[in-house]
Amino acid sequence: MVVSDKTSPSDPQANATRESSPIDAPVLAAESLSVIRSGQRVLKDVTFRISPGEVHALLGGNGAGKSTTLLTFLGFLTPAGGSVQVQGRDVGENLSAIRRTIAYLPEAASLYGHLNAYENLGYFLSLAGTNADRSALDDVLDRVALQSGARGMRMQTYSKGMRQKVAIALAILRDTPILLLDEPTSGLDPVAIDDFNRLVRDLADAGRTILLVTHDVYGACHVADRIDLLQNGELVGTFDRPPGIDRIDTEAVHEAFAGRAAA
Amino acid sequence: MTGLLREIRFLSRDSAALLWLGIAVFIAVVSVFLGLREVSSQRTELNNLIAADYREREVEMGRYQDWGEVAYYTFHLTYAPPSDFAFAAQGQRDTSPWKHNIRALALEGQIYETDAENPDFALIGRLDFAFVANLLAPLLLILLLHDLRSAESAAGRYELLCATAARQGSPWLARAALRSSALALCLIGPLWAGGLLAGTDAASLALASLVVVSHIGFWWAVCALMERFGWSSPVNLTALVGAWLAFAVIVPAAIKVSVESIVPLPDGGEILFTQREAVNDAWDLPKDATMEPFIARHPEWADYTEVGQPFEWKWYYAFQQVGDQTVEPLSLAFREGRIRRDRFAGSLAWLSPPALAERALQALAGTDVAATLAYEQQVREFHTALRKYYYPRLFRDEPVSNASLEQRPQFRGTSE
Amino acid sequence: MMNSVFSIAREEWRLWLRSRLALSALLVFALLLTATSTLIALRMSAEHQQRTEQQALAEETFLSQPDRHPHRMVHYGHYVFRVPPPLSVVDPGVDAVTGQSIFLEGHRQNTAMFADAGASANIGSFEALNAALVYQLFVPLLLIAIGHGLIVREREENTLAPLLAQNVTGVMLCLGKWIALAGVTLVLLLPLFVMTAVAVARGESLLASAGLIGIYALYSLVWCSLILLVSALVRSRGLGLGILALFWLGAVLIVPRSAVETASSVMPAEGKLEADLRMQADLREVGDGHYAGAPEFMQLQANLLAQYDVERVEDLPVNFRGVVAEVNEADLTEVMNRYAEERMALEARQARFAESFGWLSPVVAVSAGSRALSGTDLATHHRFLREAEAVRFDFVQGLNRVHVEQLDYIIDINRSNDTASERRTRMSAENWNVLDEFNFQAAPATERLTRATPALTMLSAWFLLLTAGGIFVSRRIRP
Repeated sequence: MVVSDKTSPSDPQANATRESSPIDAPVLAAESLSVIRSGQRVLKDVTFRISPGEVHALLGGNGAGKSTTLLTFLGFLTPAGGSVQVQGRDVGENLSAIRRTIAYLPEAASLYGHLNAYENLGYFLSLAGTNADRSALDDVLDRVALQSGARGMRMQTYSKGMRQKVAIALAILRDTPILLLDEPTSGLDPVAIDDFNRLVRDLADAGRTILLVTHDVYGACHVADRIDLLQNGELVGTFDRPPGIDRIDTEAVHEAFAGRAAA
Repeated sequence: MTGLLREIRFLSRDSAALLWLGIAVFIAVVSVFLGLREVSSQRTELNNLIAADYREREVEMGRYQDWGEVAYYTFHLTYAPPSDFAFAAQGQRDTSPWKHNIRALALEGQIYETDAENPDFALIGRLDFAFVANLLAPLLLILLLHDLRSAESAAGRYELLCATAARQGSPWLARAALRSSALALCLIGPLWAGGLLAGTDAASLALASLVVVSHIGFWWAVCALMERFGWSSPVNLTALVGAWLAFAVIVPAAIKVSVESIVPLPDGGEILFTQREAVNDAWDLPKDATMEPFIARHPEWADYTEVGQPFEWKWYYAFQQVGDQTVEPLSLAFREGRIRRDRFAGSLAWLSPPALAERALQALAGTDVAATLAYEQQVREFHTALRKYYYPRLFRDEPVSNASLEQRPQFRGTSE
Repeated sequence: MMNSVFSIAREEWRLWLRSRLALSALLVFALLLTATSTLIALRMSAEHQQRTEQQALAEETFLSQPDRHPHRMVHYGHYVFRVPPPLSVVDPGVDAVTGQSIFLEGHRQNTAMFADAGASANIGSFEALNAALVYQLFVPLLLIAIGHGLIVREREENTLAPLLAQNVTGVMLCLGKWIALAGVTLVLLLPLFVMTAVAVARGESLLASAGLIGIYALYSLVWCSLILLVSALVRSRGLGLGILALFWLGAVLIVPRSAVETASSVMPAEGKLEADLRMQADLREVGDGHYAGAPEFMQLQANLLAQYDVERVEDLPVNFRGVVAEVNEADLTEVMNRYAEERMALEARQARFAESFGWLSPVVAVSAGSRALSGTDLATHHRFLREAEAVRFDFVQGLNRVHVEQLDYIIDINRSNDTASERRTRMSAENWNVLDEFNFQAAPATERLTRATPALTMLSAWFLLLTAGGIFVSRRIRP
């Protein structure tokens, strides 16, 4: 298939506005979610809902429980209490169907070093049950701004940022209504970060629902419609982008983040 | 000194390293124990055989009226007792004979008899110390050393350590030295314990220890060399195991094949066949045809060659001897060939340190090919002595007497 | 779903083809296998030809002996050779450590002499390399080297999460990886296919050949499952490699030899000389058939005289010396067979005991099964010994029959008077055709398959257990 620029016919939310409306049924929802990993309670009673076309950021320091939340949405972890729902269905009910609707960009995502960008994308897409021709791949690689000269080279020669771009391209190419992104901008240079943030906004504008976790306050403020501050497995604050303004107040978030961290 | 203590502390906290060292000690102890038990069971068996041989002699005494029958029916036990270091390397004693019951008949028909153990067992081999030291120990050393540098590198400490250490490579040198010597100690300790129990002389033990240490030193060098390539641990380990495979398996196999094709041996069956034919044909040949070649070898009996009857014992033994004489060239070639093969293999073994160490340990234990051939030679000499004893009595047709029987040669094994 | 599984397998192959390490390891093994198989195949077929010729020569020589006293032919004796079966090109088995020829003569059971091992160049423990050993001992090393990272590599290189995020389940992932590794073993089995094809062309049964390929395939798959299981369980490649190396060390180097040591201490075998001494005593009771006048044969003489209702031995219609030789041979043989059977039964028990260590190491199981199927196991050697003994007994008794029926007693007892008297005891050489042609064949395929059943059972158990473990673990794979 060819990935079109803004619209995706499969997605009814294609032209939704950036403002989320409360009456929309949430695409992703965590209700009083608790998760235990190797004996440790890493998420405690976390609740949030993400509406279609919304970019939602979970912001927190190391070990706050951000990645755990993503893994729970993917069904790799089972809640010890509460629930997680994707498009209204409990994760675990029909894991396979749910995973088909989610593209996931893992933290420090790595693809195969012995393959070039095209081969990597082709392989992972085939596992996901789809495929894409060379021009579709090039389209997306253009969007993530990967130099065309590098695309045919084995990825073991890539820099960290270049690898991250290919991983992002894979997430886009999956053409799923939901994107889970784990520290997507780590390792990217400032220019690439700006490019990435723009890309995320475009995807959201095209109707994708995006949950990203990050410890980058500045990036989160620029890209997200809503930020939930996560600390030691608990939600400790929520920041919404005020209507008509293109970013959340960085100062306030930073203060809350730093203040909490100091406490 | 403090550096050494620190490294010992490091080692004592590395559970993987302790596991490999533990395996080394355990297997070495087991192999020494099994070796000691095998040697003691060989001794017991020999003692039983010697006692039985003696009893047999008593039973046979006075049973036969002429020397021909005495010589025909009396078996003489010959044997090569295990040395006091044989526990460390079973060597050739598994497949080559170290005991024979010999009669005064043609020797060539008897000397190739083997008292073989279960063929399934001979095929698999024994768990002796030499096996542990030469084949297992290199692998254990490889497992101990393969990730010294690469693990640090993978953990991101490599540059830090390098930047901190005063001299290039010294932390690894000390670490590798410690681990190699620990492994050597794990092997040599049980070896010396076994040596004390078996009463091995200190020189043999010291030389054997030297062999073990040098062999481990070689593998340390191989590990150090591989490390220079700076590969990751798995690649390093794979390459090292490949080196083990090459040195311990492929090179020896290639040496064996080439030695055996360069130094051909007469077919063993051919020796027996020729000897048998010579002995059997003699029955139908004129007596002179036997006596002439016999006298050529034993001119002292030239005056006693008259054979009047269709069957006479002296003629019978003469053609037994002539049978041996007929295959002498083949038999010598067989022996020479084995010596040459062994020498050749000995020089080529320098290409394979495990094979070299194995041969060295076997030589110290007296279980090598040379020892087998030496025993064979002893049997030949003993057989010659038997003939020398019987010929006067047969040719002069003396009456059998107990006094005369008492003078019969007795095999004395070169004990320990 | 299967598409994804095959994609995963294909991807693994692409990785191996692009990895210099995996590729060179594969190449080295391909070379090693080809070289050893070719060498062994050449050697075994040379042995086959040589021993067949030697057997024919021995028979020809026996039959072309001149007229003689029949008892002289009993002592003249005969040779039989164990011609290696066609599948010995794969697994020569005990061929190298047991003698290949036996000298058969009256009143004695000789041992098989001239085992190769006795005269071979002494160069260490693994000197005798053959295709079977390469498959049993070293192919697992290759599989470990290229397969230990199957799953744990994805984990270490952070590709496990992206994989699982593509809606690939752990089971699919493991199945794909397993198929990839199993594919390698299939490639590695190619030389075996060629060798068995050669064996079949030489008249080996298809069933035994298929069984041999089957047992090696099963064995390789045991290792595939083990490697996958370990790779899925551990968190680092180093640890996985360490565990697999330890397992290899134990299974290949330590357990088989421990099996030998344990079996020989639990069931100690008496040395041959000791057994011979005991047997000698029993044989003395039977008496020496060369002396028909010995007290042991007085009863026989009385019975015969009564049977034919005559007064003197000279009046018997049969040659009494021949009868003594015949009866004595039968009695001696009974004693000798008793000892031989005792020894063989003990050896077989030892071997079975050692084989049961296959529950501890698949190497023990596969090597026993491989020898059984190739027709180069201990049982085949025993079969050779028994068949040789049957030939021996038959021709000796055939000659004794000639002695009994055709040689006059009076002429016989006067044989030592002078040369002319001796000449009169010579029987026509036509009588020598009592000798049967000896054509040693391994047991039929079904029998060999039956002997390999315990080994196949053990390997199947290993496979099922490890595969079940793999499935269990693969269901729980998390990034």
